[in-house]
Amino acid sequence: MMKLKVKEYFKVKSIEEAINLKLQYGEKAMFIAGGTDVIVGLKNKKWSPEVLISLNEIPSLSYIKEENGYVKIGALTTHREIERSSIIEKKIGALIDAVKNLGSVQIRNVATIGGNLCNAAPSADTAPPLLVHNAFITLEGKEGRRSLPLEEFFLGPGKTAKKEEEVLIEISLPTPPKTAKSAYWKHTRRAALELPIIGVAVYLDVELMEHGKLRQVFDSPDSTWDDQLRALNESDILCKELRLALGVAAPIPLKVKELDGIVRDKRLSEQLLSEVTDVALQKAQVRDSWRGAAWYRKEMIKVLTKRLALICLRRILKEV
Amino acid sequence: MEVKNKEELEQFTVVGKPIPKRDAYYKATGQAFYIQDVTLPGMLYGKILWSQYPHARIVNIDTSKAKRLPGVKAVLTGYDVPEFRFGFLKDNMPLKKNKVVTLRDEVAAVAAIDPDIAEEAISLIKVDYEPLPAVFNPIEAMQEGAPLIHEEKGTNVLPLPWKLKVGDIEEAKKRSAYIVSDRFKTTWVTHCCMGTSGCVAYFDPQGNLIIYANTQIPYLAQRDFQEFLSVLGLSDKRVRVIQPYIGGGFGSKLDTYPYEYIAILLAWVTKRPVKILFTREEEFKYTSPRQPTIIEITQGCDKEGRLTFREVHMILDNGGRTSWGATTPSVMMMPISSLYRVPNVLYTATCVYTNNTYCQAMRGYGNPQATWAIECSMDELAEDAGIDPMEFRLINANQPGEITPQNFKVSSCALRECIEEVGRLLEWKEKRGKQRDKARGVGMASLIHVGGGARVYRSDGCGTIIKIDDFGKVQVFTGATDIGQGADTVIAQVVAEELGVSIDDVTVIWNDTDICPWDVGVHASRTTFIACHSALGAARKIKEKILQLASLILGVTENELKIKNGLIFCEKDASKNISLTKLLRNIHYRTQGTIMMAEYFYDPDTEMYDKEFKGNFSKAYAYGTHGVEVEVDKETGKVKILKYVAVHDVGKAINPMLIKGQIYGGAVMGMGFALTEEMIFREGELMNPNFRDYKILTAKDVPPIEAVLIEPGEETGPYGAKGIGEPGCVPSAPAIANAIYDAVGVRIKELPITPEKILKALKEKEGS
Amino acid sequence: MRYTINFRLNGEEISMEVEASWTLLYLLREVLGLKGTKEGCGMGECGACTVQINGKSVVSCIYPAMEVDGKEVWTIEGLAQSSETLHPLQKAFIEHGAIQCGFCTPGMIMSAKSLLEENPSPTEEEIREAIGGNICRCTGYVQIIEAIKHAAEEYHGSKK
Repeated sequence: MMKLKVKEYFKVKSIEEAINLKLQYGEKAMFIAGGTDVIVGLKNKKWSPEVLISLNEIPSLSYIKEENGYVKIGALTTHREIERSSIIEKKIGALIDAVKNLGSVQIRNVATIGGNLCNAAPSADTAPPLLVHNAFITLEGKEGRRSLPLEEFFLGPGKTAKKEEEVLIEISLPTPPKTAKSAYWKHTRRAALELPIIGVAVYLDVELMEHGKLRQVFDSPDSTWDDQLRALNESDILCKELRLALGVAAPIPLKVKELDGIVRDKRLSEQLLSEVTDVALQKAQVRDSWRGAAWYRKEMIKVLTKRLALICLRRILKEV
Repeated sequence: MEVKNKEELEQFTVVGKPIPKRDAYYKATGQAFYIQDVTLPGMLYGKILWSQYPHARIVNIDTSKAKRLPGVKAVLTGYDVPEFRFGFLKDNMPLKKNKVVTLRDEVAAVAAIDPDIAEEAISLIKVDYEPLPAVFNPIEAMQEGAPLIHEEKGTNVLPLPWKLKVGDIEEAKKRSAYIVSDRFKTTWVTHCCMGTSGCVAYFDPQGNLIIYANTQIPYLAQRDFQEFLSVLGLSDKRVRVIQPYIGGGFGSKLDTYPYEYIAILLAWVTKRPVKILFTREEEFKYTSPRQPTIIEITQGCDKEGRLTFREVHMILDNGGRTSWGATTPSVMMMPISSLYRVPNVLYTATCVYTNNTYCQAMRGYGNPQATWAIECSMDELAEDAGIDPMEFRLINANQPGEITPQNFKVSSCALRECIEEVGRLLEWKEKRGKQRDKARGVGMASLIHVGGGARVYRSDGCGTIIKIDDFGKVQVFTGATDIGQGADTVIAQVVAEELGVSIDDVTVIWNDTDICPWDVGVHASRTTFIACHSALGAARKIKEKILQLASLILGVTENELKIKNGLIFCEKDASKNISLTKLLRNIHYRTQGTIMMAEYFYDPDTEMYDKEFKGNFSKAYAYGTHGVEVEVDKETGKVKILKYVAVHDVGKAINPMLIKGQIYGGAVMGMGFALTEEMIFREGELMNPNFRDYKILTAKDVPPIEAVLIEPGEETGPYGAKGIGEPGCVPSAPAIANAIYDAVGVRIKELPITPEKILKALKEKEGS
Repeated sequence: MRYTINFRLNGEEISMEVEASWTLLYLLREVLGLKGTKEGCGMGECGACTVQINGKSVVSCIYPAMEVDGKEVWTIEGLAQSSETLHPLQKAFIEHGAIQCGFCTPGMIMSAKSLLEENPSPTEEEIREAIGGNICRCTGYVQIIEAIKHAAEEYHGSKK
């Protein structure tokens, strides 16, 4: 078995220490948390740092809490911890959907949400859910802390707005209103160990008017997607907000902006959702690759957005 | 041994029982050692440099920098070693000279004191190539003016004009009321053994070669390596092949590989043990996968639905060099001529060199590919004829005692029962054609495979030596190999049963050519049948000896004596008895003593194919049917398997638990073949050499599977048994495709059946 | 560069020097000679190298050896080593035909162990989830899942 080509391994006890070491070693050093991206990249020769700076012993960077109207997640929180969190389950449904299907239990036990975001793969599963929740991240560098919206964080495949020596410390997002729910669909060929062919996240906030038929259909165990869409078309549900984000549809995880004008105060229907995906497809840069054809990815954006809206509605109705 | 009925089987002590696999204790405690775990004193690590081009002339290789790296003990290229050609058509060699014809070609090799240094040395070897135009498609490669892979052959078409002809196709076509014709394709899929390939080669102080090899053919490999030693000037030296526990076979180890010869070369040159171990990426890229096929099939039947003819033409992409892939037609003939009763058959297969990877045996050895086409086409023909597909299969089902167009003598055959059982379990009559509104459907497909060995080589034999020590412990030395399928256990079961001893007193030793007698290899699902017959032969000889001696001591005739639980006793007068251990010590510790040993070589009275590819090459044939219920998501194209039933005619199950393990494992491999697995090549380069992008099914993907054993008893089989190793993965793909057709009316003809293909087909159907 | 770390391995306290370049799998197999844990892919994509760290299943081939400092590690060698004292999972795997070539077995058992210690009565879905990252090519998973179910029944109330 071969060894990693790493010469030094520092386990820092504070963010300051991490920053200073990174400044000292520059390009020769990389931060590491769970290591499921960093070590794989080392073995693949994607990168070759001689020095690894482990953030795992920095106290209190792993937490999930609700504070002052925000849900806050420490960057070193593992995907498994997020998967188990009742706060996230109740309020950030899309994030649970994402972490539940990420890699495998073994990966989720050590991989962190901060690492997933900093790796900045276009396929990062946690990104679309956080984007539709208008998340922003907090970084700490030699000049102190700063925050920026997550949508400004991703710059390209593997590239972020984080400075080399900055440490991602927290992800936070406004606590959604009770009438808002989100959902994420990771479209894959297998049920585990997968990166998505396409990932779609939807956040939906509605005003429920006439929705009896929809509730009925949701309650019936045999109802198909078609049944549910029909019931939606026959209901009267006003869209207050609909946000959409895509993974593997652009060089970065993509939040589809300019949806507000289309959806606000409109009746939620299959037609409206079509208009939404039309905009999404315009903004997206879906590629052909041997992992998946562009035409199929585009089709799935259309199909999955509709289904996700229904899942969000189901989650909303469950609470009401 | 004839076994007439279940009651008789229930009288047995261990045969027919779910005895745990004998080596499971080692494996469950982490004590089993695989090639990964083999380390010898002074061992060096070998690494191989592969070609950078799919087709190129080698202009120059500069190994000087690599040689100078501290810790490097040898660097070899094809120019440093005597020429040696191996492989079915002798077009392969350990290290390549002059030319590379695939990205898999081995160009140089290094031995160093640790794997990291070996890898660094590889990166220091500089090779200058002159790239040549390459061809990646067999049909293109057959055209005039296509780049020649092996110029000296003058053509890319292999000199293997496979052809099977029975009866008169043209005449049969005229008599047919219905004829369907179609084209099917399969692509490269690979074994994905969890333990990667590797070996440790070393020359002992007297210059004999000892090689720890992950092989399924210890004796044939021994012969290949012996031939290699002659080329090295070592023809008077011996070869000993030792097999560690094998982390999966599935046919991947039925041929010798360049890396094995390279390890031998490095060991020879350095005079130290050399270990070569593939990484997972190397395993994907540089081992030989399943043979891809392009299949044209035409079948016809009369008004009553009886098959009149089957015509199949195949083109096989042989890749740059030749291994067993080019011989898969010899097995593909089997379902073509003998799956269902079809009186007129024509089959041709053309193998073509390209610059792609080259293939070898993989579970089923061509049968899954051929059955894919045959069983999909059967459903199409049934539809044309207006007959229900299950009914259509029953009309044409093979019967016990028939002789098929290839002259196979079918003894036991429970195909009808398998088809009917699948129909019952799937609720065929209630569901077929009746669930379109829910996009659900049911489908089935059957299989035939060899079940009593296979005379693919001149010998289909297996040797056994049995010795019983003074403590009554039995050691069985078999030439067979355990690759996880349970050879070690079924052999122990039949010996324990025959000798009347506890199975815990029987140890099966299988892994050393110095100790165990000859066997042709673990292929063709032959091990239970052949190795157990061989073990039984030796056991009976020993039993005879024991009873002879006991009869002298006890003063009764031999046929009045029985052995059970280590005690030899007279059935009529139980007071006349002697324990086995006492008897053994008795005959050993005295003047002119003897020890208890016996040997037996079993080679069935079957035939090799004659010049027309006909001949009863197996003693018995295995049959089975798989049935599937699917639900198709018409908007995403994804297929969900709701129910999977695998019904197999196994003769008699010597070990029902292990047999089911083979069926489940085979079925899941078949599902992967059908739905998710494909090696994706671009210009000869493998894009997905890892488990993330090569989609082998996980525990979360596998649907509920029901395995049902049909046991008509095979009179030629040991305790009535037939083979099962391969049948489990043969009919999965067509069963699934046929179910998808029932669900949504589209038929995908190229494997794997991906969501994209289904969605595209659905849209085309909607449009038209 | 070598660093001293302290951790518990299969119930024993260990203090030793490790190199920055070692993964946990390298430490176990090449340095400590514990060959039970296997390398199937080296990239964390097959689960053959699964061990338990602080009760959680982790793929050791991409886990830096440095990170076990202060932690509790269990490998297959930490379970019973003889037929008299087998762990319920080992016993169940043996008795249910869950082992064929056996290469995936150590990792599979460790994933199952982590599951049962956290959730002594898992549903079939939960079992599949727990071993979703452990690839097996031989068994088709059916008898493995049966074995884990059976071990769960026996495990109720058992300690580690």
